[in-house]
Order: sequence, then structure tokens, then C-alpha cells
Amino acid sequence: MDIIYSIYEVLWFALIVLMGIALIEGYFYYHFKFYARRWFFPAALVGFPLAAAALCRALGLAADPVKPFLWFLGSEALITLFFRHIVKGRNKLAYLLLAPAFIGLALLLVYPFIFEIYLSFHDLKLTTIMQWKNTGSLPFAGIRQYVNVFTTSPLSEVTFWALLGRTLWWTFINVFFHVAGGFTLALLLNNNIRFKGFYRTLLVIPWAMPQVVAVLAMRGEFHSQYGFINIMLVKLAAAYPILAGLGVGPVQWLSNYPLTTCTLINIWLGIPFMMVVILGGLQSISSSYYDAADIDGASYLQKLRYITIPLIRPVLMPAVTLGTVWTFNNINVIYLVTGQSGGTERADILVSALYKAAFTYNRYSYSAAFAIVIFAMLFFISVFYLKSFDAAKEER
Amino acid sequence: MKRIFSGVALALLPVILFLCSCSRPKSPLDASTIILWEQEDAQVAPYIDSVLAAFKKLPENKAIRVVRTHYQTEDLRSQFQSASLAGVAPDLIMCPSDTAGLFAVSGFIRPVDGLIDASKYNKTVIQAITLDGKIWGVPVSNGNHLMLFFNRKYSKTAPKDTDELFKFCAAEAKAYKLDFCMAFDMGEPFWLMPWLAAFGGWPIDNKTPALDTPAMRSAINFYLDLKYNRKYAPPECDYNCMDSLFKEGKTAFIINGDWAISGYQQYFKKDLGLGLMPKVSSTGLWPAPMVSGKYFMISSGVKPEKLAVLQRFMEFYTNRDNQIRQFKELQRLPALAEAFRAPEITGAEIARVSMEQISKGRPMSMATEMRAIWDSARNYLGLATSRKLSVEDATRKMQENAAQKISEMNR
Amino acid sequence: MNKEAAVYRRKKIVKYLLIHLAIIAFVVVCVYPLLRILSVSMRPGDKLISTDLSLIPAGAAFDAYVRLLKETLFLRWLWNSLLITVATSFIGVSLASTAAYAFSRFRFAGKKGGLILLLSTQMIPAGMLILPLFLMIMKLGLMNTYLGMIIAYSVSSLPFSIWILKGYYDTIPRSLEEAALVDGTSQVGAFWRIILPLSTPALSIAFLFNFTTAWNEYLVARVVLFSSKQYTWTLGLFELQGQYITQWGMFAAGSMLVTIPVLIVFLYSSKWLISGLTLGSVKG
Repeated sequence: MDIIYSIYEVLWFALIVLMGIALIEGYFYYHFKFYARRWFFPAALVGFPLAAAALCRALGLAADPVKPFLWFLGSEALITLFFRHIVKGRNKLAYLLLAPAFIGLALLLVYPFIFEIYLSFHDLKLTTIMQWKNTGSLPFAGIRQYVNVFTTSPLSEVTFWALLGRTLWWTFINVFFHVAGGFTLALLLNNNIRFKGFYRTLLVIPWAMPQVVAVLAMRGEFHSQYGFINIMLVKLAAAYPILAGLGVGPVQWLSNYPLTTCTLINIWLGIPFMMVVILGGLQSISSSYYDAADIDGASYLQKLRYITIPLIRPVLMPAVTLGTVWTFNNINVIYLVTGQSGGTERADILVSALYKAAFTYNRYSYSAAFAIVIFAMLFFISVFYLKSFDAAKEER
Repeated sequence: MKRIFSGVALALLPVILFLCSCSRPKSPLDASTIILWEQEDAQVAPYIDSVLAAFKKLPENKAIRVVRTHYQTEDLRSQFQSASLAGVAPDLIMCPSDTAGLFAVSGFIRPVDGLIDASKYNKTVIQAITLDGKIWGVPVSNGNHLMLFFNRKYSKTAPKDTDELFKFCAAEAKAYKLDFCMAFDMGEPFWLMPWLAAFGGWPIDNKTPALDTPAMRSAINFYLDLKYNRKYAPPECDYNCMDSLFKEGKTAFIINGDWAISGYQQYFKKDLGLGLMPKVSSTGLWPAPMVSGKYFMISSGVKPEKLAVLQRFMEFYTNRDNQIRQFKELQRLPALAEAFRAPEITGAEIARVSMEQISKGRPMSMATEMRAIWDSARNYLGLATSRKLSVEDATRKMQENAAQKISEMNR
Repeated sequence: MNKEAAVYRRKKIVKYLLIHLAIIAFVVVCVYPLLRILSVSMRPGDKLISTDLSLIPAGAAFDAYVRLLKETLFLRWLWNSLLITVATSFIGVSLASTAAYAFSRFRFAGKKGGLILLLSTQMIPAGMLILPLFLMIMKLGLMNTYLGMIIAYSVSSLPFSIWILKGYYDTIPRSLEEAALVDGTSQVGAFWRIILPLSTPALSIAFLFNFTTAWNEYLVARVVLFSSKQYTWTLGLFELQGQYITQWGMFAAGSMLVTIPVLIVFLYSSKWLISGLTLGSVKG
């Protein structure tokens, strides 16, 4: 019975989502259709905000519909002007196609983002939190929190700048090996071999497994005495004394090389995803290019360099850019490997340090400023990425 | 085509308005419902539910509903904060005292002075929930302290002091071909504090950290000695590692908390031995584990008229019978002094040892400053025990860093 | 001539042998930890790590599986996750496929900005969003319902899906659609009948991504859901993890079970992931 009810519930929600999309589409449709009419501007200013305020009221979002009405009035004026003077009815289809996706994103992310910015210019911490709850206002802090981000460090031994360097290095190494590993595997799998589907399914296991267990299982393999890796190293050194002479032997991974351990595990986790993306990308390359190259007698590496890599770029680039952003902000592995209660700070990157400030010391405003700084850095990195990608495209 | 589309969109609008307005969930919060959040391990849930059911059976509680929601420890903290800010906090939370300081300082929970008679409970368990002269929670159980577990296959009795322990490690442990004589989570400062006390120190002195002390240096040197000179303890071993070593019979002794008792009893049956953490022979002092417990805390958002119901509920939950039943089912020591002395508890061997260990322990401070102390202690303990820093430098930095973090936190 | 062919064939066999060997090496690295988890799930006494390497532990038993299914609502949790995930994946992929088409084929005001905006949504550290998310879900009255989660999940995977689909659409020559447009098909019709069928590899990547992300999500679910009947498997399974004691046996057993649906989806989607090969014939 419960099960039937849950199906009903989800179908119901899907329907609500669909209706929401229809609503958005209808809204923009009318703007496109009538934007140039003289009556439209006043009509829109009256009609849409009223409807929206009524919707708010019906949903119980606001007890007092006047304030939202004013908000909607303002935004409606902006939107109508935007349609009248900038969009001018062009590219109707493009905007209609984009509208639901972007309104969804705005709903989910704009409010939190504004919230973080608000916090970062104020002072929310343990002792002011009740004041905030009761009065809704906080002491203004100006840019003090931002100054603190750069001048103090949330960690004991590592400065902000060292932490930044470490984070960049961590991101670079991870993304590099994700792409390199994924590319190799995808190329291997793209041959006409047997059991391809079977291999492919097994190879995505690190991605498919729940990350927590995957990481904890891998962590066990790095144990200094009972982990698979050290047992192999010991056996190797025993079998080939020369290697032992070169320094091959058991390593205390977790206490002496925590960041290396995290990196190795994270690389292991990330390769399958890149492999799938690249494999899909390889499908977009027409075999006729290779046939032509074969006739010219091109070698395998030449084909790789001049056909595969350039043609796979449009698909690879978003994966690399987003991979960079995700890796920069990814603390799952670090958190799980170095111990859940905070662990050693020798494996901390910016984000894990940020979480310490936010959740261990409840310095909300400081961590909000910190998050905004991270956001800004990532923003510039990715704009730079995209620019260089565009440049490469033009070159071609 | 286009006309149909726009017509459909228009027609849908009122439909959506109507549907949304009736699909809104009704608020379950009312005066006769007690919302309780807890963070217990999964095997504790049946016990809690049974107490809740018994509470409801009483005639005066017919109209009362208790809704229990489980969160993980960290989630409970963040959700309780969020919910308090949004004004929808649960009435009660049941959790250990380490987050209590945070909730008390930020004003999310209210003191329980006047609601309970503090003298009915054990002194340490009340001390651990006292901050700035106020009591912030109602104790449900007493404990959360570390003690020595041993495998009776290897050792018949617990060693009284470290000399005895080391003698065993040097002779019998070798004969049994154990991987290690003893193991405990040497990376977590919680395991360091009892030893620190045995060398004459304590990490916090009325809200100021006391980490750069000779006692701390001796405690860390004691660790180094165990790890590198005597090699009685594994060089790298966390909680899960010591747990596995002990369960697989590869180590004779581990130090673990009272929370692990029932699990080990099930696993080892008669082979499980329980003892006090051994006295440090060089100083003649006993290690003093940190003692706290589980507590009910009351949200500051609770309306005054609901307090009476909550008071009745908490009194029922911690009455003598339930405290004794809690011990029988979960091996948790009562916080109620009357139950603490009951024959059911003093008669049981395990409880006797556990109580004796508590009497050697000290209350864990609920001051928010402890967070900074845990954090810097963990970091520099790690650096010192992996020989990245000398012991002197480590303790000095530990102190400086804790002080700095406290000032940043309060600034 | 004959000899040359034989040499060629031998070379080819060696090549395929090497490829198989290389792939098998990778497969072992990927599968080994899974086997270790399998052995945790069968190990008596809730031990996460073991001092020996044997994959089948001494006293192996399926107790943990039986207990997981009997003592917890595990099947219910799986079912909840499945519903949410499937709904999310379909909504997410359909929104992304249309939006990506707009980005790929039109030039309009705010195109570049829009693409970067998409990326920038991924740049705020997720943990910082918990508090505002809670407040928002609270105000919207979506506590303990799936609606908020379905929206949140499908929207949060959008940036990746849109970008990857846009990249893929870009590689499809415009001439194909233009021919159709000349024939009198509408732009939407061209998208539906020509672009979408050709993009199955990218669509399946986007679907897989949506599916795995929603399937394994914890943070949002934790904020939204609070009654154990409504839990997704991530929340349910984490119930087994305590502050110190975790029921590793059941935890690992659950992890094994939740991996299976994802593997099935992967196995099935393989067909679509490589079906783009037909593209070659169209293009050539």
C-alpha cells in the first residue's frame, strides 16, 4: 500500500514539475508574443505580479502578500523592459528552451548565494547567533572577514597561501590522472574486442559504488601493516633484494603521506567517470577520418594527435572544467581517509579547512567569506580555461 | 499549435494554484506532541522505543505522542542548529555533552535548573553538563569513559600498573606470538587525556588550555616509548584497526570506551576481561578518563506550558526502574545516584569495574574551548608521534595554537 | 603473400592479447576493493579491516544480509531511492537536452554568460549550502517530501549535462538540420528527429551522471527527510554508522546491494553509449 502511495506521490511531483515548466514557458511565451504592444507593459505590470502574489499566498509562502507583490512588481518591470529593449523578440526558441533550466538553477542557487554574501559581510558566530534569530539583524563587519581569510589560516601549521598552493597541486594531479587514465581505458575499450560491455561495466565499479564504502575499503588497503599495498611491497622487497636496496619497502601511508594516499584513492575513484565521458566522445568521431588517414599512411600516434584529440575536445572540455571545479571542492576522500573527527591537517585542502572553520568553530561569517573567495578563484580559473579552449578552437 | 499551447498554459494556472494549496502538509507540531531527536547507535533504538511506549501507557499520558527521529552525531548538531534558527527545533535532544557547550553558548538550549533536582544524580555527570554555574541537561546515563579491555585467553587478570603490563608484554605476549601486546587509538587525543592525568596534568583549567606542561611532554614520551622503543603498540592504528586486532585475537589489551562493552560481550562471551586503565608506575597516579554521559537537552524554543510535560517525560525516562533496565539492556551505567547503588548494578562484575573506573575519572568539560583543544592536540600529537616534531616543540605549539583558535572563535 | 598475412595475423593476435591483459589489470584494480567489501559483509563480528588478505573470511556467513533485510526497512529505502532517482534522471536529462540545444545552435544575448553561470553554480562548496537550503525548504513547506529533492537533484546535475550535450551537439554538422529545415520541418522537429537520435552516447552519459549522482546523494536528503519510512538508502544505511560503533557487516552488505542497480543501469546503457557509431555512416 505504501509502495503504491509512493509511486502516486512521485508521479504527482513529476506532474507538479511539469506544470511548473508549462507555467514558465507560458509566461515567457506571452512576453515574446506581445512585448512590442503598447498595452503589454502596463498589463504585465498588473497581471503577472498579482498572479504571482496570489500563488505565494495560496502556497502559504507569505502571510502578507503585499511585500512579495512589490518584489514581483519590480522584477516584472525589469523583465518586461529587458524583453522590450534587449531581446526584442529574437531567438524566441532559444530562450524558451533555456527558461526552465535556468529558473530551476536560480531557485536552487541564487538564494543560498545571496545568503552567503550577506553573511560574509556581517559577523555571525556562536555569540551572535541568537541575536540574529531574534532580531533578524547582525553586526556589520565590512570586509573584515575577507581580510581574515587572507591573513589568518584556519589551520595551525599551514598558511592560507601554502594551502592554496597545495589545493592547486591536488587539483592538477587529480584531474591530470583522471583524464590520462580515462583516456587510456577508453582507447583500449574502443577496440573491437570481446567482452567489451562486460569490461566496461566492471571498470565503472569505483564510480558506481557508494563512495563512503569505496573509500573506506581503499583506505584499509593502505594500512601500514595489513593493507594489500604494503604486503605486496614487503613481498616484492623480499623477492628482489635489489629493489629493497633502492628503498622499496613498507610505507606508513596514512601517517607519513596522508595527502599522497588521498590523491591515489581519489584518482582511483575518478577515472571511470572520465572513461565513460571519453568513450562517449569517441563515438562522435566519424570513422571516415581514420580511413582517410590510413590511406595517407599515418601512424597510430599521428592519428591520435591530429584526429582523436582535437575532435574529442568539445566533449572532453566540459568534463575537464567541471572535474577541476569538483576536485577543487572535493573533500569526501580527505575527510574519510584522514579520520572523521578532523584528522591530520597535512592532508587538508582549502575546502576541508573551510569546513573546519565552519563546523568546528562555528565561524559562519568567516567561512562564508572563505567560500566566496573559493568561488571567485574557481570562477577565474574556469573563465581562463574556457578562454584558452576558445583560442585553441580558433587556431584549428 | 501555438494557440493550443498558450491556452493549455493559461488553463493550467488555476489548476496548479488549487492543487498546491491542498497538497501542503499539515504541521504535526502541537502541545501534546514531544519531538525527540537522538544520535544513538542503531542497536539502542529498540530500547528507547520501549521506554517511549511504556511512557505512553501511563494513564495521564494518553494524549501525548512522542516522535523520535534519529540523526548521526554530526547531523544532529547541524540539523539542530538549522532547525533552531528556522524556529522549528525539536523539543528535546538526547546526545552526549560535547555539543552542549556550543548549544548553550549560542542560546539554542535552555538551562534545566529548577526542572530537576540535581542532587539526585551522580556528581561527575552533573559537573560535566555544568557551564557558568548553570545545568544544561538532564543526565540519562553516566559514562562514555575509557577503560581497559583484555582477552582472557592471554591474560587472566588486568595488570594493576604499567610495570605489570610491560612485564606481560615482554614475556607472555611474545610467547603467544601476538602481533602487538596492546593497541589503542593513539591519534585521537581523547585516548591521550587519561594518560595525561596519570602524569599529573589536565588539558583545560577553567576555560584556558593547559597543554604545554611537563605532564603533557611525559605523556607523549610515554606514547613514543610504547610505539618505537618497546614496540608494544602498533605504529599506525586507528579505532577500526584496534577493534579488528582485538577481535581477531592479535592483541591482548585494548583501551576502549564503555560503549563497546555490549558488542565485545557478544563477540567474546567468557573471554572478555575488563579492568581499570593501569596505574602509571613512574608517577604512581591512576589514569583519569574523561567522564560524561548522555543527556536530554531542552530547546530554548519550547513554550513554557509544555515544560511540565517534558519534565514528566524526562523524569519517567530517568527513573530508577528505567535506569536499571537501561543498564541491563545496554550496559550503560545509571546517572541517578539511587540506581547507581542498586544491587542489580553493584552486583555485576562489569558494572563494578566500570564504576570504579568512573570514580577514577574526571568530568569532561563542556566549555566550547574544548573544541580548540581537541583540534590542536590532535594535530600536534600526530606530528610528535610520527616524529615530525620534537616533543617540546609539539607541546609548545599545541598550547599556542589552542589559545589562538580560542581567541579567533570568540573574536 | 601468404606469409605476410600470417605475420599480420599473428601481430593482430598479440595486439589483442595485450589489450585484454591491460584491461584485465585495470579491472582487477577496480574490482578488488569491491571484493574486500564483500568479505567485510560476510565477516562475523562487524570488523571493517582485517589482518589477513583472504577474500572469503573464516566463518563467512550471510547473516548481515538477512539481518539487513529483516531488521531494517532496507527494501523500502531502496525503493524510495529508485523512485527519486528515476524521476530525477528523466526530468534532468530532458531539461538539459533542450537547453543544450539552445546553447549549441543559437547566438543570443547572454549565451557566454549563461554557460559560465552554469559552471559557477558548481563552485560554492556544497557544505556551505546546508543552512540556506534548510531555511528555504522549510519556508516552501517541502520538509519530508520528495518534491524538493527531485527538483534539487535534477537541477544540480544540469550544468554538467548541459555542457556535455552542448559539446556533443557541436560536433554534429549543421548541414543535417538545415537539410531538414529546407524540407519544411520545424526547428523543434529537426531537433527531435535528427539531433536527439544522433546524440544517444551523450544522452546516456548525462543519464548515467544524473542517475549516479541522485542515487548516492546524502547532503540534501539529510536536510529534507526526517522520517525513516521516507528515507533514501543513503540515509538508511548511515543509520548503521554510530559515533564509535558501526555495524560494518550490515553496512557493507547494504553497499553491495545498492551497487547492483547502478551496475545494471551501466550494463544496459552500454548499448546506447556506443550506438553513436551510426553517426559515422551519416557523416561519411
